Amino acid sequence: MPGSSGRARGALEQEVLGCLAAAGRPLTTAEVQAGLDGHLAYTTVMTALTRLHAKGVLTRQPAGRAFAYGLAADMDEIPASLTARGMRRLLESGPDRASVLASFVADLSAEDERILSGLLEDRAHPQDGGPA
Amino acid sequence: MSVAMWAPILVAVLLAASGGQLGRRLHPAVAVPLLTFAALATALATGFVLAVAAFDAMAMLAPVAQLGHWSAAAVRPGGPPSVLLGAAAGLTVGVLLVAAVRRATRLGVDLGHAVATCRRLGPDADGLVVLRDDAPDAFVLPGVRGRVVVSTGMLRMLPPDERRVLLAHERAHLAGYHQLYVQLAGLAAAANPLLRPLAREVERGVERWADEVAAAEVGDRRLAARALARAGLARAGSPADSRWGLALHAAGRPAAVGARALALLQPPPRRRRWPAAALIAVTLVAIGGAAWTGSTTEDRFERAQADYAVAP
Repeated sequence: MPGSSGRARGALEQEVLGCLAAAGRPLTTAEVQAGLDGHLAYTTVMTALTRLHAKGVLTRQPAGRAFAYGLAADMDEIPASLTARGMRRLLESGPDRASVLASFVADLSAEDERILSGLLEDRAHPQDGGPA
Repeated sequence: MSVAMWAPILVAVLLAASGGQLGRRLHPAVAVPLLTFAALATALATGFVLAVAAFDAMAMLAPVAQLGHWSAAAVRPGGPPSVLLGAAAGLTVGVLLVAAVRRATRLGVDLGHAVATCRRLGPDADGLVVLRDDAPDAFVLPGVRGRVVVSTGMLRMLPPDERRVLLAHERAHLAGYHQLYVQLAGLAAAANPLLRPLAREVERGVERWADEVAAAEVGDRRLAARALARAGLARAGSPADSRWGLALHAAGRPAAVGARALALLQPPPRRRRWPAAALIAVTLVAIGGAAWTGSTTEDRFERAQADYAVAP
């Protein structure tokens, strides 16, 4: 579908970066491909890595006959205090402020915790009302 | 105050009581824009009729009537309105206006912070910025070009397929301008506190909306629910956050993660017509009441001015 290719490419680059960040060490194209569950073609992953390198998001170093890609050091220029949590605090300080952040997951109540733990534990038995 | 003047206030009460319920019966992609529109229109309509009520009472005072060149007696053919009611309306509209302006100013400052932070974040992968931080966290920074910010701690927690859910969810927030709806509804709630349940429903709705988009993108609702569960538990279990702080925050956060996960285990929400029609109808009543009030008030003052010209 040509219409969705733009969004798909955006998703692809994010996935590749996410995979490298989760690994915590430089990875070769083949390793990234394997880390993404292998649902993407080798050349697709290679294109995404090249583009991210060109943007300055990734650095690369020779590893054998290929390259190993890692997170660019640029991101360390952000002051050490500005961790994700620090940034959230900065922008969300005080109960009175207009919250301009949207979190993936908000804080949990005890009830939430029970539901979520149950959901992860019995993967084999779908919960009541859930699609079997 | 005439019946038309009460209409927006009654609608605000009605929405406070049932707007959230109606919204929850709709697909979140429909509910969020509709609830935001209902909140904004009702807030504006209420503010307008309150201002007219206050102005009416003031217009009866002799010095004001003289200044405006209208006959004080002719302003209110049906007898003088209660000055007390007018004063109460004036005070209310004043307080609410100040609250709305304060909220808007704070929002401007906060957005400025967010935009400035976006600029300092450096290169991104189509909007994604990874921060080296062991504490699991993921959120959206709004801005001209908003960013998805995810910590390495969060990425390490999730298997690859669940990472896709997380990223799709955050992309949906940015692509759908979800923050715009949340902020507009919040502004409406500041201008009319009766609309707070609606604003909370909009906040809940954008999370559900992004969950649905993410689930559709990965094509597996159960996978989406699992990603939510793992990310939620990871964040709750991270040592950097004290339980005390979380508890303080939780009260103000309507988007309960557990409920969102359970919704993903259900079949996708259907697109129903009648709750949408009900919301639109109720909002039109508020707008109609304000419009009717505006036009009849104008007529009354024109007649009162004509009377003044004849016999001041």
